[in-house]
Amino acid sequence: MIEELRKKAEELLKNGTVKVVFGYGEGSTPERTRPVFITKPEDVNKLTWNKYCVYNLTTYLKRQETRKLGKPALILKGCDARTIIVLLKECQIKREDVYIIGVTCDGVGDPLATKCEACDVHTPLIYDDLVGEKRENKEVPFEERYAELDEYEKLGEKEKWEFWQKQFEKCIKCYACSNICPLCFCDRCIVEKNQPQWIDPSAHPRGNLSWNVTRAYHLAGRCINCEECQRVCPVDIPLNLLNKKLAKEAEKSFNYRPGYNIDDELAMSTYKEDDDQDFFK
Amino acid sequence: MSKKIGVFVCHCGTNISATVDVEKVAEEAKKNNPGVSYTTTYKYMCSDPGQKLLRDKIKEEGLDGVVVAACSPKMHEHTFRNASKKAGMNPYHVEISNLREQCSWVHPDKPTGTEKSIDLVRMMTEKTRKDKSLNPIKVPVTKRALVIGGGIAGIQAALDIADAGHEVVMVEREASIGGHMAQLSETFPTLDCSQCIMTPKMVELAQNENIKLYTWSEIEAVDGYLGNFDVKIRKKARSVDLDLCTGCSSCWQVCPSKKIKSEFDMKLGNRTAIYIPFPQAIPSKPVIDREHCLLFKDARKKNIPPNDSKVCRKCLDVCPIAPVKAIDYSQEDEIITEKIGAIVVATGYKELDDTSMYGEYGGGKYQDVITGLQFERLASASGPTEGEIQRPSDGKVPEIIVFIQCVGSRDPAKGCSYCSKTCCMYTAKHTMLYKHKVHDGHAYVFYIDIRCAGKDYEEFWLRAVEEEGATYLRGRVSRIYKKGDKLVVLGADTLTGSVVEIEADMVVLASAMKAQDDAEKFAQKLSIQYNKDKFFSEIHPKLKPVESSSAGIFLAGTCQGPKDIPETVAQAGAAASKVLALLSADELEREPVVAKVDRLPAPIFSTCIGCFYCKRVCPYGAIAEEDIKARDGSVIKTVARVNEGLCQGCGLCAATCRSKSVELAGFNDEQVYAEINSVEFS
Repeated sequence: MIEELRKKAEELLKNGTVKVVFGYGEGSTPERTRPVFITKPEDVNKLTWNKYCVYNLTTYLKRQETRKLGKPALILKGCDARTIIVLLKECQIKREDVYIIGVTCDGVGDPLATKCEACDVHTPLIYDDLVGEKRENKEVPFEERYAELDEYEKLGEKEKWEFWQKQFEKCIKCYACSNICPLCFCDRCIVEKNQPQWIDPSAHPRGNLSWNVTRAYHLAGRCINCEECQRVCPVDIPLNLLNKKLAKEAEKSFNYRPGYNIDDELAMSTYKEDDDQDFFK
Repeated sequence: MSKKIGVFVCHCGTNISATVDVEKVAEEAKKNNPGVSYTTTYKYMCSDPGQKLLRDKIKEEGLDGVVVAACSPKMHEHTFRNASKKAGMNPYHVEISNLREQCSWVHPDKPTGTEKSIDLVRMMTEKTRKDKSLNPIKVPVTKRALVIGGGIAGIQAALDIADAGHEVVMVEREASIGGHMAQLSETFPTLDCSQCIMTPKMVELAQNENIKLYTWSEIEAVDGYLGNFDVKIRKKARSVDLDLCTGCSSCWQVCPSKKIKSEFDMKLGNRTAIYIPFPQAIPSKPVIDREHCLLFKDARKKNIPPNDSKVCRKCLDVCPIAPVKAIDYSQEDEIITEKIGAIVVATGYKELDDTSMYGEYGGGKYQDVITGLQFERLASASGPTEGEIQRPSDGKVPEIIVFIQCVGSRDPAKGCSYCSKTCCMYTAKHTMLYKHKVHDGHAYVFYIDIRCAGKDYEEFWLRAVEEEGATYLRGRVSRIYKKGDKLVVLGADTLTGSVVEIEADMVVLASAMKAQDDAEKFAQKLSIQYNKDKFFSEIHPKLKPVESSSAGIFLAGTCQGPKDIPETVAQAGAAASKVLALLSADELEREPVVAKVDRLPAPIFSTCIGCFYCKRVCPYGAIAEEDIKARDGSVIKTVARVNEGLCQGCGLCAATCRSKSVELAGFNDEQVYAEINSVEFS
C-alpha cells in the first residue's frame, strides 16, 4: 500500500496535476508519524502509511504556508475526507483545487482511537483516487455511534456543570484546539475581536468557559469528530466529548450528519418546516 | 469624549407609575453615572409638551444622547427620534427603554418593578453611550405599480393610479377582467345592474394608455423591495394570439365541445372549449381550455405535440385571419419580468361552493339547492336563463323559494367562524329580484340575525320585508329532503317557538365568502402575512388598514376579508392613494438600521471568510457574494456584501457570523455588549 501511495504521488507530481502532496512521513520513533509536504517527485519515498497515521491532514488547507505551495493532493482517510465535504459546502475550497488520494482504513491508533470504534467510513465518501482495497461502509446504529457519551449523559445537570468547570479550569488558552481544527478557518477568530472583547483572552475561569463553549458552539452541526482538538490539547480537556454531544443533538434534531452527503443542506443555516420545534417552551 | 446623556422617565398616566417608582428610577439613573447629566420624569412624554421638554432640554443642557424610559419602541421611538432631530441631534442617539410593556404591565410588585426599571434604564444608558450617528438610506423608486387581480378592487386601484399619471401593470389569472362583480345581477342597496356599472370601468381600464394588462397570467415570483420590485409574471399559454385575434367569434361558434360547465355561470350554463367567459369580456378574445379541448386531449393521450394531432382543428380552420392565423396550438407559457415600485394585491375571494359538509341541506346533492352566486347568474340577463328564474333541475319557475342565511359563515364547526358580511344584504336583494320576476311567488328567509349596517342598508332590508313581502323566519333549518319534485324544508321559527315546514321549489344557500384556495401559497410568495382564515392581514386593523406586512405591498378588496362593493371600492382607492404617495418621490428614505460586512485595509480586506452562512439565513435575499480583486483582475477573496436596499435589519446574519464580521447599525456589537455588561447579575 505504501508503494502504491508513493507511485501515485510521484505520478501526480510528475504530470503536473498537483504541486504538492500532503501526506504522512516517518516520525522520530516508530510509534509516531509526522506530516510531510512533498513537492518533488524524487522525495516520494518520504511518504509512509501505518496505523499511527492518526491525524487529519485537511487542516493544512487553511494555512497560508501550505496554501502557498500550490494545488495539493491530500492523503485522506474516510473520516478526514468528510472534512472536505464540509469545506466544500462552506465555500472554503473548490473541488477542482484539491486532489484527494483516498485510503481505505481499518482504524488507526494504538490502542485503537475512539473515533475508529464506530467507524462507518472505512472507504472515503469522496476521492479522486482510491488506494487500498475498497470496503463496504456498513451503517452503524445511532446509539453505537454515540456510545462514548453514555457515561457522561448519566450525570445530572449540576454534576455536568462541575465536571466542565473542573476541565476548563485547566485551560491555558494556548488555542492549539482551534489551530489544529480544519473547520476553525476564520481569518480572525471571535477571540481576537477586541471591540468589544467578547471573550476574555486571559486564562481566567470566566474567559476559559466562554472560549471553550463558544468554540464548541461554532462547531455544532459542523464538526466531523476527527478528535484532533482533543489529541493536541496539552492539558487533556476532553473536548471531543463536547463536540460529540453537540453532533448528537444536531443529528437528533435535524437528522443531519456533517460531511456525509454533499447535497445535504447545512443544518445550522437551513430552516425546514418539519424541524424539531420542541425547544420552544 | 464622553457623552452628555439625558434620561426622561415617563409616567404614562399611571400605566408605568402605578407599579414603578418613576422618581427613584430617574434618581438612580444619575447615581454613579457621570455620563448622565440630566434626568426628569413627566406625565406623558409623548404629548406635545412632553416632546417640547425633550427638545428644550437637548438644547439647554447640550445633550448628545437621550434615553426615554416609556413604552415599547414600536409605539413612540419614531416620535422621540423626530423630536430630537428637530432639536438638532442625530435621531439615532435616542434609545427607548421599554418600561411599560416589559416591566410595569407585567410586574404587579412595585419594588421589584422599580428595581428592574432601574436596570433597564441603565442598560439603555450604556447603549446610548456607544450610539453612532446614522443617516437615512436613499433608494431610487421605480414609478410603476403592479395590481394583482382584475376584479372591481383591482380595476378601481389601477384606474386611480393610472389617472394620476403612473404606469400600471395589471395581472389577472382568468381570461377576462371583471371578477365576481361581473357575475352579479343587480347590486344592493340601489338595485342597479352590476354589469351596467362594471363594464364601463372595464372598458375604461382597457382603453387607458397607462395600463398594461396581462390576462390569463399569474404571478410567478416577487423579488426585490419597496420601490424596486422585480416581478416575474407567467403568461399562461392562451393558444390564441392576442395581437392577431379580432374576437370575431367564428371559432367558439364552431367548437364541437359545447357541454363544458361554465365557471362564469357557476356551472349552471355551458361553454365551449375555445371560449370567452362572458359577452363583455375584456379582452374580448378567446382562450382554449386545454383540459377539455379535443385536440389537446388527443395530443396528451398519444403523447405528441398538439400541432401534430389531427382530431379537430375546426377553430383553426374557421379563423379568418390571414396569412397567419390567430390560433396557435403550440403556444407555451411565457415568463415576463416587470420592474415595479409598489404593489396592490386585489386577488378577491372564493364563494363557498362545496356544501357537501352540510348534509342537512342535501350535502350538495340536490340540483335545486343552489348557492348565492348561482342565484345571481340565474337572475342576470347575461346568465344561462337570460334572467328568468328557473330552477336548474327542470327549468320550472319556482313558486316558493327558501333562502338560508349564514351557510358556512358564523359556523366554526363546519365552515368559518367569521361573518361574511354581505349575505344579509344580498339575500334581501335576492328576495326582491325574485319577486320582481315572479310576481306571485313567495320567498322565505331563515336567518340568525339581520346585519344591515351601512348607508341605506336597513331601509333596503325593510323594503324587502314590508314592500316585497318576503317572510323572514328567525331560526335554522334542520333538514331538507325531497318529496316528489318539491324540496321540503324543516326549520324552526324561534320567535314564535314553532316548527316550520315549507314545501319549496328551490332553496338558495347564502354561502360564505372564503379566501382563495391558493391564498396561503400566494401570501408566502409575496412574504405578506395572513390570518387563520387565510385572508391577508393588514399591518394595523385600525390605523393601517390597507398596508400589508411587507413594505410597498398594499391590500384592496376581499382578499383582506369579506366586504361589499362600496367598501371594496373605497379600500381600493385608499390603496391607490398609498401607492401614489410612494411613487410621488424620486427617492425613498429608508431606516439606516441595516447590516454591514466589514471592510479593512489590505492585505485583510475583510474579516469575512466567505462561508456564506449569512447568505443562507437571510430571509430577504439581501446578501451577495463579492469578489475582492487585485489590480490584475485576479480574485483575492470572495466575501459577503449586504444590499442596503433589501436589508430589513433583522440581524440574523450578525447572529450567525462566527467571526463577527457582520454588524447591524444601531445594534452593533459594542452597543449590545455595553447593554449586557451593565446588568449586575446576582
